[in-house]
Amino acid sequence: MHIQYLHWNAAHGWRGANALREPAQLVLYFGSREGLESGERYRELRGLYPDGHIVGCSAGGQIHGDDISDDEVVAVALRFERTQVRLASEIVASRDDSRACGERIARQLAAPDLAGLFVLSDGLVANGNELVAGINGIVGPDLPVTGGLAADATKFEHTLVGVDGEPVPNRIAAIGFYGASFRFAHGCAGGWDVFGPSRKVTRSEGSVVMQLDGEPPLDLYTRYLGEEEAAAMPGSGLAFPMRIHDEAEPDRQIVRSVFAVDRNARSLTFAADIPEGCTAQLMRANFDSLAAGAGEAGRQARSALADEIAGDKLAILVSCTGRRRVMGQRTQDELDAVAAELGDDVVRIGFYSYGEIAPPAASGRCELHNQTMTVTVIAEAAA
Amino acid sequence: MTMHRLLARQIRQSTDESGKVDLTKLGELVSAAYEESDGDRRSTDRAIKLMIEELEQTHKRAEQDLGRAREFLDSIIENIPIAVFAKDAKDSRYILLNRAGEEYYGMPREEMLGKTPEQIFPDKIARVVNEQDRRVVDSGTPMFLEGHLLEVGVKGRDRLVNSRKLLIRDGGGAPQYLVGVIEDVTERITNEARISHLAHHDALTDLPNRSAFNAALGERLEQAQEAATSFAVLSLDLDRFKEVNDVFGHPVGDMLMRAAADRLAAEADGAFVARIGGDEFMILMPDDINREDVLGLAERLVETIGTELEVDDYLPHVGLSVGIAFYPDDGVNAATLLANADSALYRAKREGRGRVRVFESEMDQELRDRRLLQHDLRQALEQNQFLVYFQPQARVDGEVIGFEALLRWNHPTRGFVPPDQFIPLAEENGLIVEIGEWVLREACREAASWPRPLQVAVNLSPVQFQAGDLERSIHQILLETGLTPTRLEVEITEGVLIGDFNRALNLLRRLKALGVRIAMDDFGTGYSSLSYLQSFPFDKIKIDRGFISNLEATPQSAEIVRAVLSLAHALHIPVIAEGVETEAQRAFLAREACEEMQGYLVGRPDLIERYLDLVGVTVERRLYA
Repeated sequence: MHIQYLHWNAAHGWRGANALREPAQLVLYFGSREGLESGERYRELRGLYPDGHIVGCSAGGQIHGDDISDDEVVAVALRFERTQVRLASEIVASRDDSRACGERIARQLAAPDLAGLFVLSDGLVANGNELVAGINGIVGPDLPVTGGLAADATKFEHTLVGVDGEPVPNRIAAIGFYGASFRFAHGCAGGWDVFGPSRKVTRSEGSVVMQLDGEPPLDLYTRYLGEEEAAAMPGSGLAFPMRIHDEAEPDRQIVRSVFAVDRNARSLTFAADIPEGCTAQLMRANFDSLAAGAGEAGRQARSALADEIAGDKLAILVSCTGRRRVMGQRTQDELDAVAAELGDDVVRIGFYSYGEIAPPAASGRCELHNQTMTVTVIAEAAA
Repeated sequence: MTMHRLLARQIRQSTDESGKVDLTKLGELVSAAYEESDGDRRSTDRAIKLMIEELEQTHKRAEQDLGRAREFLDSIIENIPIAVFAKDAKDSRYILLNRAGEEYYGMPREEMLGKTPEQIFPDKIARVVNEQDRRVVDSGTPMFLEGHLLEVGVKGRDRLVNSRKLLIRDGGGAPQYLVGVIEDVTERITNEARISHLAHHDALTDLPNRSAFNAALGERLEQAQEAATSFAVLSLDLDRFKEVNDVFGHPVGDMLMRAAADRLAAEADGAFVARIGGDEFMILMPDDINREDVLGLAERLVETIGTELEVDDYLPHVGLSVGIAFYPDDGVNAATLLANADSALYRAKREGRGRVRVFESEMDQELRDRRLLQHDLRQALEQNQFLVYFQPQARVDGEVIGFEALLRWNHPTRGFVPPDQFIPLAEENGLIVEIGEWVLREACREAASWPRPLQVAVNLSPVQFQAGDLERSIHQILLETGLTPTRLEVEITEGVLIGDFNRALNLLRRLKALGVRIAMDDFGTGYSSLSYLQSFPFDKIKIDRGFISNLEATPQSAEIVRAVLSLAHALHIPVIAEGVETEAQRAFLAREACEEMQGYLVGRPDLIERYLDLVGVTVERRLYA
């Protein structure tokens, strides 16, 4: 596999190094919602790579190497030796449509030699949990599926995904990698700790929580954030995700972030369903524990890549915007931690998301996560 | 000096390609980092403070919940009607006592809590209590004493209690508390005794019941076999008790039964007297009493029951029949002994009641015959062994006005079986319903074929009134045979009206509404209650043959016949006299204005063929029709 890394900024336009000797099969790019929504960047990339598939999404910060930027667009162009790439894409019209979208995408891509799926989805309309469940239902629990939900910084207005076209809202993209040589390794970890008393979800409907211990959840968040910070909900709420314990699935670790606020009902909408009767507990983290969590994700991915690899290795980092919001300038620390685990020989690109898709360390079946760092390494085995 | 990683990064970010540090940018970055740190610290502080507050509240709530749960449990313990106490396992000092416990010990808990048994109870009791406590603490096994007398307290010395003591250990496994429970079970134990008594005694007379008798007999047989002794079993039956019940009602019957039971038990003092159901008793005599003494007792029993019993101002008259079987002569097991005592009883009753009979082996045969006859009876109907005989009924001047249909059984091997032998059997097993219907149908069909519209009278058994739909079947038969209803007369005895009087009366009214005539049979025997005549408009009264045959012999019979006739005439009910055999009898009846007669003087019961001329059929017509 060969990688050409490139990035765009307002001052210099696109710049890149190590041009590919053969035409690219796949181009991945990430930028801010404002930076992508004109469609200009896509059209420029299409000019550069007329024959490749071009897939990208809006983000809450773009990762390239050791750096994070908000106003640059980052991209990689990939040429595989023995791997085929196919795309599937769906429009998700409403939240309830998510599982069906997942199923349709998986059906388009399913094949005996399918070796891995990377998914980029609208981050606000789609129900990531249902989307992943839909995909799992078709391809089975053994096929690795990773990816993330597009973001809109901490504004939560709308998110964009582009699939061989200008990036638009309501879109879901999936990239299928085929062939025996393809290698797909992943890791996923958080670094958050629960604190404070356990609370009962006394009233909820889907992903909207109306009452915790009989109290509107917005009141709880307002107390913990302070009035000033609470005004910046839902973005500021990312500092306090919730761990959900469902008696029906006692072994599952579920972490959910706030996605939307209804100030009249004083209810909160979370990234996925929270069943009534569950136990919920607030979580928080410090800079060091989050960095250590990211390092763990890097270690998992690197150790999963056992074979001898031919050519370049690409790591796609998908981390949660909530982590960035908590860490501020220290966000760099989590990227450093991942880099230290992956080693110098892995090219790193990625974005801050509204939700991460990866199998958790304990089980093979992939899930939607919140507040994690997920690392996907793709490469080709030596012949 | 090692530089902080963040500062190094900030310096790198503020340095341009030429290596020049932009101090303003660096200042901004450092300042922002401070802000972030401050913000994070503030947020952490706030979170910690809130968390403490919340945990405190949670703790407080949990304490309140615990308090409420404790109060709840306390109030349950306080209010259960079982004494509950707890003591320190070390020195048996009381630390808890509920209200029932205060009642049990007869002192307020203030006088007991914090004190040891020695400080509360007399020495002797304190010693017992302490011993029990030590045993439970040392062994670790609970103590459970069942139904013992109350040894302490004021509730009364005759109370029975269940008490238990249980050791509770602390977290380290060391004895901590002794918990005790004392339950007053006096009522429960008394109830159990009462239930057990009820299971073995008859509720009405309080005599042992059938199962108690069977057990006693079984035991006696074992003893007698081992000791080679002999004994007697008496089977007793009150005569006419059912009639007393029917006529005077159950309350009087019950009182009579109790009085009779008392007399039997008193007279048979020393024997095992049991009531085994209805009006039947059994007596198990003591060992080695000779036959004469057993017979003597039996005679005394008959006599004592035969003496009128005055019950609640009534003087119902009942009698007693007794059958006796001896072990080992008349049987060596319970079943044979009982069956033979019953055979003897049956014989006593058959021979006229109020008698004592000892089992003899031919009785056994008799009982078997009876069963055989009952068996044959079942086949008689399907094998066409029944016949209907007709006996003419006439005005006293001799004009035949009708016939009474009479059932006869011509058994293939026995020949004609007397009706008084087989009809009671048919009534016993219910066959009379089917047989009675057959007689009705035959009689009606026959009568319908007669050229002269003569009456036909058919007897109905009380059993037919109790079982089946008599009205419907009579109606059906009338339709089938085409007999005019007014030509049918049904004869009933007062037995029909004894028992469910209202039901019988309703049925009679409905039959009468069909047009059927109703005659009162056997009048003058039994109770002959005048109220029956008042309650239903009978079409005819039939004077029992007994009075007619005695007309010449006893002057009372003539007086009774006169009285019945004058009563009937006063009520405008015609009378038919049964059993008229002589001209003198006919002349008497004619003088006394009796309307109708029946008997050998008019004609014997016979097949209708003999009376064809009376019904208006010429012999030729009958033969060639």
